[in-house]
Amino acid sequence: MKLKQMLAAGLLGLSALAGASPFMELVDTHIHYSHDAWERTPPPEAIRLLRLAGLQKAFVSSSSDQGTQMLYAEAPDLIVPVLRPYRKRGEISTWFRDETVIPMLEDLLEKNTYAGIGEFHIYGDDANMPVIRRVVELAQQYHCFLHLHGDAEAVENVFKQDPNATILWAHSGFEGPAVVSQMLARFPNLKADLAFRNDHAFQGKVDAQWRELFLKYPDRIMVGTDTFAPERWHYIMDHADWTREWLKDLPESVAQKIGYQNGLDLAAWALNK
Amino acid sequence: MMRLLISLLFTCGLAAASDWSATERAFVQSLGPWPQAAVADASNRLSGDVRAIELGRQLFFDRRLSANNALACADCHRPDAQFADGIALNRGFGALARHTPALLNLSQRYWFGWGGENDNLWAQSMRPILTPEEMNASLTQVSETLRQDDAFACRFQATTGLALQTLDEQTQLVWIGKLLAAYQETIVTGRTAFDTFRDQLLQGQPLTALNASEQAGLKLFIGEGRCVFCHSGAGFSNGEFGDIGVSFFTASGVDKGRYAGIQSVTRSPFNRLGAFSDSIASGSRTQHIQLLHRNWGEFRVPSLRNVADTAPYMHNGSVETLAEVVDFYSELDEERLHTDGEKILRPLHLSAPEKQNLIAFLQSLSAPVSAATDQPDLFQNCPQAAG
Repeated sequence: MKLKQMLAAGLLGLSALAGASPFMELVDTHIHYSHDAWERTPPPEAIRLLRLAGLQKAFVSSSSDQGTQMLYAEAPDLIVPVLRPYRKRGEISTWFRDETVIPMLEDLLEKNTYAGIGEFHIYGDDANMPVIRRVVELAQQYHCFLHLHGDAEAVENVFKQDPNATILWAHSGFEGPAVVSQMLARFPNLKADLAFRNDHAFQGKVDAQWRELFLKYPDRIMVGTDTFAPERWHYIMDHADWTREWLKDLPESVAQKIGYQNGLDLAAWALNK
Repeated sequence: MMRLLISLLFTCGLAAASDWSATERAFVQSLGPWPQAAVADASNRLSGDVRAIELGRQLFFDRRLSANNALACADCHRPDAQFADGIALNRGFGALARHTPALLNLSQRYWFGWGGENDNLWAQSMRPILTPEEMNASLTQVSETLRQDDAFACRFQATTGLALQTLDEQTQLVWIGKLLAAYQETIVTGRTAFDTFRDQLLQGQPLTALNASEQAGLKLFIGEGRCVFCHSGAGFSNGEFGDIGVSFFTASGVDKGRYAGIQSVTRSPFNRLGAFSDSIASGSRTQHIQLLHRNWGEFRVPSLRNVADTAPYMHNGSVETLAEVVDFYSELDEERLHTDGEKILRPLHLSAPEKQNLIAFLQSLSAPVSAATDQPDLFQNCPQAAG
């Protein structure tokens, strides 16, 4: 939907209406739609919120996968389905020890279309557990990226298992720009999202170290909201407004890549099986 | 009876100063002294002024500040109910989404409102007057009402040195806010059993002020429970905001909490940095505030002084009793919190006796409330107030 149409339909957020710069339709790579979210915000309303935020694409994973499937059925043009290895919220720290997760993933991967597997939480040596190893194999088999929430050590361990894996590093591991930069340099297939981070921008201005990173790796960074609680679905629009504000502080070509192009490219890569 | 039984059970327990470690003593010390020395609000030149306090008191009970002369501040912030209302969500002229807070010990605070929408008490006091769901007045109505009141105009001039007639409507409302603030700053809670206990502990006296159950609850509060990390200082609040996993859906969407509060306070012409502030320098915290993702759905960490008397609880009044608050923390839903968010919080999984002890301690934080009273001699040269 073009800007003019959105304006006519009254679909833009306030800041988009008031802003002096062109409105950028973003790709949000970090959205969850778990059972308590879909109970409160049914699929039509959820899709309305995503479009209201001015998103071209939304990478969605949920606990259980039913939420993702409902949204994908509602708006296949908008939703990029990602398979979360959690049946319900609350399995963040136990899932990688639960071998029943594997047949569940195998079954769903066989039945449905997914761009990625994740977001899953894994740290350090736990990334070498059998369940994770099989997840890495499945990602390779089904041409999926791995949306990994964990530390640098976990990322390293996964790349040791499969140097050709593609990892979207959730929250950039909550590492500082120096570490993120080192990791991006070491692993060409590593990409990073900025969900739930504020340190790269303050009042619309990009931090100097982060700017250096963004300019060095403009093809590897993406943005995302992280709707970890059901209320956060209503944050997607505010987050998009906040994101557009600091993206304006970057060269236009870099802002476009981080704001949407990298997300579009990753979705195209993953869904072009 | 239950409290007595628990006390008897713990009779051989925590009675000596030696039972308190150096760390525990330091935490206990940090929760006082009480009362705190009065500190005038630099952004309000009427703060602490005796005439402003009296005129503010009169305004606090004046229903002419609302549409149809229907509601005064005191109708929802009831003096007989800890200057709160004792119900989950009140109705003024419309349905409210936030619980009416108790107006206690306000002079030590910096942020006001559940989301910190204001950085001073006078701006916060202006807000409900014009809010359609609360007092639903208009600037013009308030201005005309007060300008036609010779007694008020005289008292106003005696207090501020300004002629009410010469001020524009907005400036008049700011002064009303400052007068209301001056009065509310006088609403304070007294010394509690805990405060006496704190003094006993620090001075090496016999620890008689709290019984064994209350002492056990205090140990939990400053220890394993980690309550003190947020409910800190003499006011039992760090003065900031947190997301503890309480739902913030409302009937019409969500209450953005601190996120909207920061947006509001930084844009407000009535903040400490604005033209109406009497001290720009007092607004440094406002100047440096940063809008963070985590602020979405954060709400003010309330003071725990008189907490046992200010039910119901939480920003939306959704928890009815103190026992249910303790249950809430005991079985906290970590899944609602971001894994890299509020790391202080985790389920306490308290036993029944531990819960009882914690409640007993919280009950020891209660004391009588006092506030400025009628001072009829202050405005002898002015006409008698109407009504």
